[in-house]
Amino acid sequence: MSRALPKRNPLPSKEASLFKELLTLYETRQIKKGLKTADLILKKFPDHGETLCMKGLVLTHMNRHDEGLELVKKGVRLDLTSHICWHVFGLIQKADKNYEEALKSYTQALRFDKENLNLLRDSAQLQTQLRLYEALVETRHNILRLRPNQRQNWVALAVAHHLNGNPKEAKMVLEHYQRSLKNVPNYDTEHSETLLYYVNILEEVGELSEALSVLDTNSKSRSIVDRTAVLEIRARLLTKLKAPEADEAWLALIQHNADSYESYRGYFQHLGIPLEQGNKEALAKLEEFATQLPKATAPRRLQLTVAAVDQFESLVKPYIVRNLVKGVPSLFADLKSLYADKEKQQIIETLVESLREEYASASTSSALTSSSGESEPTTYLWTLYYLAQHYSYLSQPEKALALLDIAIKHTPTLPELHICKAWTLKRSGDLLGAARCQNDARLLDGQDRFLNTKFGKYLLRAGMVEEAISIFGLFTKKDAASPGADLEDMQSLLYLLGEADAHKQNKKLNLALKKYMAVKKVFDDFEDDQFDFHGYNLRKFTINVYLKLLKWEDQLRSHPGYVKAAIEASKIFVAVADDPSIVTSLTSSNQMTDAEKKAKKKAKKAAVKAQEEKKTTQPAAADKDMDPPPPKDDDPDGIKLLSCADPLEQAAKLLHPLVTLAAANVDAWIAIYDVAIRRKKLLQAVGALNKAVALNPDHPELHIRLVDLKQRASALPQQPPAPIGAVFIDALSKLVPDEISLETLNSQYLQKHSDNPEAVLAAAKVQAMLKVPLGAVEGTVFALSSGETGQGEKLATNIRTASSALDFLISIQSSRSDEFRTQCQANYPLSTIFKTPTELAPLRDQVMLGSSSSEGGSEEVTP
Amino acid sequence: MNIRLAKVEDLMGMQACNLQNLPENYMMKFWMYHLMTWPQISFVAEDHTGRIVGYVLAKIDDPSEDSTNEETHGHVNSISVLRSYRRLGLAKKLMLLSQEAMASIYKASYVSLHVRKSNKAAIALYRDTLGFEVAKVEVKYYGDGEDALSMRLDLKN
Repeated sequence: MSRALPKRNPLPSKEASLFKELLTLYETRQIKKGLKTADLILKKFPDHGETLCMKGLVLTHMNRHDEGLELVKKGVRLDLTSHICWHVFGLIQKADKNYEEALKSYTQALRFDKENLNLLRDSAQLQTQLRLYEALVETRHNILRLRPNQRQNWVALAVAHHLNGNPKEAKMVLEHYQRSLKNVPNYDTEHSETLLYYVNILEEVGELSEALSVLDTNSKSRSIVDRTAVLEIRARLLTKLKAPEADEAWLALIQHNADSYESYRGYFQHLGIPLEQGNKEALAKLEEFATQLPKATAPRRLQLTVAAVDQFESLVKPYIVRNLVKGVPSLFADLKSLYADKEKQQIIETLVESLREEYASASTSSALTSSSGESEPTTYLWTLYYLAQHYSYLSQPEKALALLDIAIKHTPTLPELHICKAWTLKRSGDLLGAARCQNDARLLDGQDRFLNTKFGKYLLRAGMVEEAISIFGLFTKKDAASPGADLEDMQSLLYLLGEADAHKQNKKLNLALKKYMAVKKVFDDFEDDQFDFHGYNLRKFTINVYLKLLKWEDQLRSHPGYVKAAIEASKIFVAVADDPSIVTSLTSSNQMTDAEKKAKKKAKKAAVKAQEEKKTTQPAAADKDMDPPPPKDDDPDGIKLLSCADPLEQAAKLLHPLVTLAAANVDAWIAIYDVAIRRKKLLQAVGALNKAVALNPDHPELHIRLVDLKQRASALPQQPPAPIGAVFIDALSKLVPDEISLETLNSQYLQKHSDNPEAVLAAAKVQAMLKVPLGAVEGTVFALSSGETGQGEKLATNIRTASSALDFLISIQSSRSDEFRTQCQANYPLSTIFKTPTELAPLRDQVMLGSSSSEGGSEEVTP
Repeated sequence: MNIRLAKVEDLMGMQACNLQNLPENYMMKFWMYHLMTWPQISFVAEDHTGRIVGYVLAKIDDPSEDSTNEETHGHVNSISVLRSYRRLGLAKKLMLLSQEAMASIYKASYVSLHVRKSNKAAIALYRDTLGFEVAKVEVKYYGDGEDALSMRLDLKN
């Protein structure tokens, strides 16, 4: 009598119709009514699985997510063969962005309702999101079989084949589709995009002539309406076909947009004329373009790159003069890539210096005598500005600052001059003076968000977090919980990374970690953002751009912002794993003063109020838009995050994408090693170091890790078990030869790189690891401040390394750290990095006031 | 500066440029949505290092079904050029490319945009350089209560 599954009892007709009503109410987003209806059914049939699931679903849209989810799970258990139950479960998992589990639920649902198009379409979206392309092909096949008359289903199948690495199959599907097409309206952008997709596939499978003929036929008949795309694809195809008409095609593109560098590159590549320095033919052709297209800047700028040194001056002079006269602020940013060639750099310097003399005499001789070649006083100003950037870039800050002083006296109201001064001071290590100058710029135009953002960024760099936030707040949304919350909502990496770095600098690791993880969240959201487009673009037939979206998403975390956040966050996780007492010390230092508590309370109140206001001002449609509200942050200070039970697992997850997406980044491999070795993933650890060695065998951080690896390996209680053990020992001996001691290894490294400050510091750190007497370690470090190696050679150090060295001395409790600080202060007189807190306090106050309010005090720093 | 069609890889740069410069900001999905729907009408300017220093983000409004007198037209959602890249005519070049694409691909009969009443420089660009005209004033259009000028340029010729 027993059956595999209990047959569920159907609801009586009254409740059955109520259930139908419930489905309709949900679909029309009438959530409250839906809940009432569900309860009506459940009163009589409390174990009706489908109703329980629907009630659960409704609850998740009423801010009762967890309760709803529990009901759904209960409902599914009561009715395991109901497609509705599984569908509901899948919907909630999908909304929770738990795509793997959602797909499992959808697959269950489809078992009991094979031809449900909603289920199939959602499954296809999930499969695309999860990059399960084989399964996607099958789903798209099913959908097409059920609805062959819908155009998009054909294209969707073609896309699935294409994504699954099978463009030929995609091509065949599209051809079949086109044969079946009837009555395409003229000038249909959707059809046009589909045809362009077809042409792209033909190109991909190597049928270039066919691609060209399809392109030409359909653009003549006006079936393809995107003229620019036609021009581009045409030029590309003709070039690949080595057809002479490619000339014309590239020229047409250049005519269409004379400022696109790609078109020039394509044209010259087709002609077989390299756009390289010294190529006379290229230079002559560019001259033709420059004459024909007087408004375009690209050909003239390309000329500067291509010109040999002897032709350079005659070309660069009119270019520079024109821009100085026009007052183009970006001239230096435009030209600095030419500085890779020292001769060109020198020509520019000589030229602009002579222009400066010329304009200076013109601007001093009174405006009445406007005799020969008169120039506007602003031209003189922009010339000074150019030269200041030039010298600042070439690490001659004194010259740059002197020029800026002249320029600011000439015209105190030009923000660019203050920005340049800020940049110069920043590069000299004067972070506070730099911020002060950005404030000067901002005060000249309070309406300009660009200037405001710059100031905020410089404040963060100087570690002045609260001030930065209040400055950012001048332009953020007033109804946001805080300026930071708005910038985080708007996914500002500039802000998040800037604040994270500032907290790190201030040794507030919890807050720093919080913000680095917020960066991770931004990228997670970018990844989720693609989800809806898996359906949307197919409906809109915008296939070409959609495929590029998928590619971009697959590479998303190669972005420097992610790489940086992942590495920095993992460093913090590693530090906490090594020394959990960090958490307690941060928690106690986080004890707030009364004033801070008050301010916090106030901010909280304002946040709650803002939330409420948002709710009331949002239109009624908000109910229809059933996105659950973001969960409340129960860890605003990041203490929970920092004290998590599994910091190394967290770090490993963060770093995982870098294995493929940042494979050329030594720092990434170092971070991967640091985490792997602590997680006892020995092969992963040596693998990471092997990658780092291949990239840069002399990298200072790598040197430290090699010694670390050897030390950890010899501390292992026994050889790791086979088969790992032998492989590990073998890899280890290749990385660090057995026959020399670590002490010798380190002194050889130091000797070989005694002129490289980072390497010297790394060697000192290794000395400390090897328990060399403190005095000897200090001796190594002090080469960085004295500028002399043990061998009496010169060691050119830099502020960043000197600052790390100071941190290191403090960390090993060296009694000579203050001596080192004083020496560095003398080496870098402009820098604020080596000043004591008492010296810094007045400078910090000055930042917010701006330079003009100073009584000549801080200006004296610059000779 | 290199001027070209906006690509998917530019979205983050466009978002960052907007956020640095303008008070009206948008989440990534908004930027994405525009490029996924109208991939041919948004443009960017980039410097030699590939940094986005200016952009125009545009969309097409189709006549809604209930109003018969409307025409298909383009709308500039956001346009911005970093302060340090001004006076190169980038905004003008970006606008011209977008307008051309709107007209030729979507047969847009006109292009519209909103501009802050106080933004004299932008208004001068739209009116004097590009030929826009003020269609109406939208009172308190912006979040901070400022009025917007709704401007239009005919694309039929």
